[in-house]
Amino acid sequence: MFGAIFRFELKLGFKRPMIYVFFTLFLLLSLAIGFQQTGVFNTFEGDRNIIFNSAYSVSNLLVGLSSNVFGLLNSIVLVSIMATAIQKDYEYNTHALFFTKPISKSSYFFGRFLAAFVLGLFVMSGYIVGYFLGLLPGIGHSMVGPFELMSFLQPFLIFTVPNVFLLGIIFFSLTTFTRKTLTAYLFCIIMLVLRSIAEVMSADLDKKTLSAIIEPFGSIAFNVLTEYWTPAEQNSNMIPLKGVLLNNRLLWLAIAIVVTAVSYYRFSFAQFLTPFRLFKRKNEEAPVVTNKFQTLADIPKVTKKYSGASAWSQLWYLSKFEFRKIAQSTFFIIICILTIGLIWLINHFSAAESPMLPLTQNVIDYVGAYSLLTVIFVVFFSGTIIFREKETKTDELVHATPVSNVVLFFSKYVGLMGVVLLMQLVAILTGISIQMSQSFFQIDLMQYFVSIICFGLVSFSITIGICLAIQVFSPNKYLGFFFSLIPLMLLSILFIQLEWTNKLYNFDSDGPRLPYSALNGYGPLGPWFVYKAYWLSFVLVIIFIALYFYARGKESKIKSRFRFSKKEVRKGSKWAMLFCALSFVGFGSYIFYNTNILNTYKSVKERTQEYVNYEKLYKKYEHLLQPRIVEANVDVDIYPDKGSLHVKGFYWAKNKHAQALDTVYINIFDETSHFTYKEVALDKPATLITDDKIFGIRLFKLQQPLLPGDSVKISFEFDYAPKGFDNDELSTLVVSNGSFFNNQIMPSLGYSDAAELSSNKERKKHNLPSKLRMARINDSAAHQNTYISNDADWIRFETQISTSADQTAIAPGYLVKKWTENGRNYFKYKMDSPMLNFYAYQSARYEIRKDRWKEVNIEIYYDKAHAFNVDNMILAIKNSLDYYTKNFSPYQHKQIRIIEFPRFASFAQSFANTIPFSENIGFTNQVDTGDWSKIDLPYYVTAHEVAHQWWAHQVIGANVQGSTLMSETMAQYSALMVMEHRYGKDNMKKFLKHEMDRYLRSRTVDGKGEKPLMLVENQQYIHYEKGSVIMYALKDYIGEDSLNAALRKYIAKVAFQEAPYTDALEFVNYLRAATPDSLKYIISDMFEHITIYENYVKSLKTEKLANGKYKVSLTVGCTKFRSDSMGNNKKVAVNDYIDIGVFGAVKPKAKEQFNPLVFYKVKMDAPEKTFEFIVNEKPIFAGIDPYNKLIDRTPDNNICDFGVVPKVPNLSEKEVRLSIGSGGD
Amino acid sequence: MNLIIENLNKVYPNGVKALNNVNLTIEKGLFGLLGPNGAGKSTLMRTIAALQDPDTGSIKLGDIDVIHNKTALREQLGYLPQDFGFYPKVSAWDLLNHFAVLKGISNKGERKELVSALLQQTNLYEARKRNVSEYSGGMRQRFGIAQALIGNPSLVIVDEPTAGLDPMERNRFQNLLSEIAEQTIVILSTHIVDDVKNLCRKMVIMNQGTILYEGNPSDAVQKVEGKIWIKPIESNTFSSYKEKYNAISSSMVHGSLMLRIYSETDPGNGFELAPVGLEDVYFSAIVNNAIN
Repeated sequence: MFGAIFRFELKLGFKRPMIYVFFTLFLLLSLAIGFQQTGVFNTFEGDRNIIFNSAYSVSNLLVGLSSNVFGLLNSIVLVSIMATAIQKDYEYNTHALFFTKPISKSSYFFGRFLAAFVLGLFVMSGYIVGYFLGLLPGIGHSMVGPFELMSFLQPFLIFTVPNVFLLGIIFFSLTTFTRKTLTAYLFCIIMLVLRSIAEVMSADLDKKTLSAIIEPFGSIAFNVLTEYWTPAEQNSNMIPLKGVLLNNRLLWLAIAIVVTAVSYYRFSFAQFLTPFRLFKRKNEEAPVVTNKFQTLADIPKVTKKYSGASAWSQLWYLSKFEFRKIAQSTFFIIICILTIGLIWLINHFSAAESPMLPLTQNVIDYVGAYSLLTVIFVVFFSGTIIFREKETKTDELVHATPVSNVVLFFSKYVGLMGVVLLMQLVAILTGISIQMSQSFFQIDLMQYFVSIICFGLVSFSITIGICLAIQVFSPNKYLGFFFSLIPLMLLSILFIQLEWTNKLYNFDSDGPRLPYSALNGYGPLGPWFVYKAYWLSFVLVIIFIALYFYARGKESKIKSRFRFSKKEVRKGSKWAMLFCALSFVGFGSYIFYNTNILNTYKSVKERTQEYVNYEKLYKKYEHLLQPRIVEANVDVDIYPDKGSLHVKGFYWAKNKHAQALDTVYINIFDETSHFTYKEVALDKPATLITDDKIFGIRLFKLQQPLLPGDSVKISFEFDYAPKGFDNDELSTLVVSNGSFFNNQIMPSLGYSDAAELSSNKERKKHNLPSKLRMARINDSAAHQNTYISNDADWIRFETQISTSADQTAIAPGYLVKKWTENGRNYFKYKMDSPMLNFYAYQSARYEIRKDRWKEVNIEIYYDKAHAFNVDNMILAIKNSLDYYTKNFSPYQHKQIRIIEFPRFASFAQSFANTIPFSENIGFTNQVDTGDWSKIDLPYYVTAHEVAHQWWAHQVIGANVQGSTLMSETMAQYSALMVMEHRYGKDNMKKFLKHEMDRYLRSRTVDGKGEKPLMLVENQQYIHYEKGSVIMYALKDYIGEDSLNAALRKYIAKVAFQEAPYTDALEFVNYLRAATPDSLKYIISDMFEHITIYENYVKSLKTEKLANGKYKVSLTVGCTKFRSDSMGNNKKVAVNDYIDIGVFGAVKPKAKEQFNPLVFYKVKMDAPEKTFEFIVNEKPIFAGIDPYNKLIDRTPDNNICDFGVVPKVPNLSEKEVRLSIGSGGD
Repeated sequence: MNLIIENLNKVYPNGVKALNNVNLTIEKGLFGLLGPNGAGKSTLMRTIAALQDPDTGSIKLGDIDVIHNKTALREQLGYLPQDFGFYPKVSAWDLLNHFAVLKGISNKGERKELVSALLQQTNLYEARKRNVSEYSGGMRQRFGIAQALIGNPSLVIVDEPTAGLDPMERNRFQNLLSEIAEQTIVILSTHIVDDVKNLCRKMVIMNQGTILYEGNPSDAVQKVEGKIWIKPIESNTFSSYKEKYNAISSSMVHGSLMLRIYSETDPGNGFELAPVGLEDVYFSAIVNNAIN
């Protein structure tokens, strides 16, 4: 019987065209991804070192295609295939036929479900098949390895099969019991929420494992399991079904089985006749009172109105009706509750690491999470309300009334808009309650109104419109859901694959808009609204077309619907459609005028070609010797209200070479930029031999060659005035409050290889030789430049800035004069000592806080609403100056300033005596002074930037590999020391653990390969994150004082030097010299090689002795690997000094959290060693390298609690990471 | 104001001929449309109610061209479909009010009065706060007629309204319909002969999309008077009788099968002349189109 039902159902299923539509769509989707990856679409290719057909890459694809929006797509498809396997019998009233037949419950239930499961798997296999086919064109190229069946099969078995089973059985059970597919959709949303929360949670290192286990689809588990896999491992490893991934799969499989068992047990044919209800309602039977019929004459005569005005009042009434119907639905109420929960949880987990102050501008980011759920809600409810009349069989009643289709349609539109508004209000109240719960009462209602309601409603008017219109076209709501996702997500993904980037044809594209900033407010909103108006007009045209197909009456075929409903379209609608069409064209033309005529739109291909052309034309000048800028004197007029600039200035450029120069090569902006040049001239007679407007290059031939030691004055004057808006982003150079730009807008000298195409794959396509990411460390020519500037060494600097009367303008140097003229503020700054050719301008309405450290003036320029952390920053500056002047060298300036800029970007940057600082990397962060273990971000960033006054502004490396070691890494080290002195050694562990985690994760995605620290090629994860860990460990090994002494010597030697510049070889030699012979190996391990440890606790035990003391026995192990740039590990012999420790209980939040009972360095001269100690207190945990000072691919297993059996580590050269709670190999 | 239907034809995509050259003129009063299931009654009703277009033909209500000016018709129409439902969780009051809005009664006060009167008229006032979706069959039908009466329609179409009602409800419903018919055209479609017999002055019999008979019920009965013969037979002989005679119906009476046949002359063989009713007109029309 089971077999018969199963086969019948399967046969029926495979006859449904829908099955093939979904399968094909999934196939095409991953085929497109495969084609894009193998270069079939001929799109831009970056360099990469991982192959696409490894089990890892295939898993990544499957996991990616089950996340967020794709998860929704899969769910919709699975609901339509699997959920209705039994429910359809009810829907088509065939249940009686089945239930009266002598079939057993189990054959019916499992026969139906298994057939649905097989269908579900078939459809989902489209992804794998498509990807496989999509990768075939890559055969023979480096991007695919040999094809192995298991690489495709295994991910399918680990991810797709359990996920389809899980989702399938839950959808199936829910739909069978409630007889509504809407509950299944509701469940999709709950899964999505669970997923989002797990994702936010996984950012917290301590909650990673938990989040990996609770996320239903195994994607976080996969990410956690493979997060430190190097490219070599990604390319060759199979996906190990163990650790968190195994736990996750088992947990959710168990849940699926429990759901199956429960629903099988609860399912009975009798139950089937009365649907299960969430809320039981009393069903009272009113007494039948039989009055005599009154006469019809009693019915009052009424007036019927069919004028335009009455149509409006009808619309209003019906909209309210629709609104109430939706807002009262259980679905909506649950979505609201989920929204509230989601916002709270995102806020909660995001706040765990580096919390932000609950300012409205920060909290609103979490509040914005409502829109995710709302979009899904809109997709589902559009279908529900368009098909509501048909489903409730009120269609004939309603459609026989004289109400127009326009009113019927738009009442649904307005009703749904109203519900979205209600949802927004719920979200806003949640945000406000979050703020109030933290006793924060500066609630900016206006910001909530604009950011959530205004932007939100405008955006949703487009989403709602298109979803409703699609449902009108669609023959049923399930296909409608599916079609809705095409414009909402699939098209944009396809367009990205194809590099179709023009927003004019990317549905519902957002026009450029600046993020809200307390300084600048919202900035210009015109472009954004213009794009929205453009798309809204488009959607309205579609809607008016859809009204021609409105399913009024009984016609169901699209053709007959058209024949029937076109007659219903009245003149008004036609005029409205024409109007919308015209406004679509009008707004479109306006956008085109702005993006393609006032501005220039370039496709990725055009841009790439430009880089190629530039290189081909000008590379020949790469070694053309140029005079070096020795002085910059610039007058800058900033017009915040117009967003424009006027710049007039000059350089003195000196021939520092041994030979005479006859050509001056000047880079300016090209003609498509908004820079117009009034003058670019030399003070010596010269002819302009090239004036390239496409690349913005001017070459002057001097009539008399410039002799060695002679200088030439280069004068320039230009205006910057952006016109309209372009396709991508609004310029933030000059904004109404908070302008920030640097000397990149000024002319520069000589050929710049920074504008060359960097992807070697692309270079090959364009017949260019491959290019190094950075010049080799022994490249002597490259030592002539710093890594910051190609055309200058140390310069004299003077500048005069004018800005509007209410603003203060700042640039490096000291304020020598300030005056007001013609209603504008003028400032003159002059630097009294040599500085790098690297300066920035800022202008805004600032509050200024002043302080002093010895003779140094401290000034903080901040927005009046952002005084929160100013004291903290001042303290950081003072502590930094103390430490750096004491340990490194004197501070070269008499002043240091921090100046806030809007959060268009999140960084701080050090210029000479001047530090521009983003509002959201220090000014609006929450600093918990009661908790020493929380990272004090403003303090740390300030210390880092102040350190750059030494490491970059005194010591600057040559333009070769390794140079950022002496700037970024050393700034990290300096900041760490300042932090350690304030927050205590113990609280550095958490900071360093994050640094190590980011390093280990980032090295896995470096497409050009990892480098040892000494040869770092401006790779942030190396010079920041790895650098921090290494320098901290080095300090630990050789001592803070001897390390700082070495640094002092080095600074004394190279500070403010002229070319050739110092490099990492020289720097590391100073470090080596300061290192005792017994430890010399660490210099090589840390700087010259990529060294990774696997330190672990093998076993540990403790017993209480008679005298009240404790005996501890601890066995630890250490394995050391050397890694190549691909992450191929090689074991090397261990003979290293490493910390071991036994610890008492932790005191959380304290400055000294840890309580070491035993702590010292041991020599690990064997892979595993056992130690015994007697300690005075009860030991809690113990381990090797307990502070995680060494780079360790499994940092967590360095320590272990007593009483816990340590996990068996993986010591093979291929890393397979295990997590807490798993069984082991 | 008359409803004039001319040359109406409709063929469904699956080839079923739902309307076959239908011509009708319908005046004020109750008009019965009698036919078996699938005869095309609902198609005709929906076409008149402007829920469907015919392939060819025209329908005029007074000067309103129904096919090309559906809205004008809808303003005059009260329609109770054969198979209908209601929004869940909406009370009778709210729902009737809702339909009043749809029908263009925009004055709130008038609407309230009207809704109240209609609910009393249909004896639903006491149950006005209950959800219509939980009403019993009779109450649903009454609610259905209440909504059809909103806005003084000049054309009321009721499609199979009495199916599934108990005799008392049906009786009450028939009274209501005849009262409505005093003012307006009421088209009653049904497969229950009694409905037509009791209520209608004019009727048509329809099958397979074709009008088989048009007239008033008593004329119709006269037409078959003396032509219907009856005989109790053994059930296993039914097919041989069927071959031989023009059998129009058979029914079990006191345990034996009574066969009724149509014959202009005495068929002999034990057949007796039967007293005729509208059923005989109906059945003979359907079985052999013998009347016209």
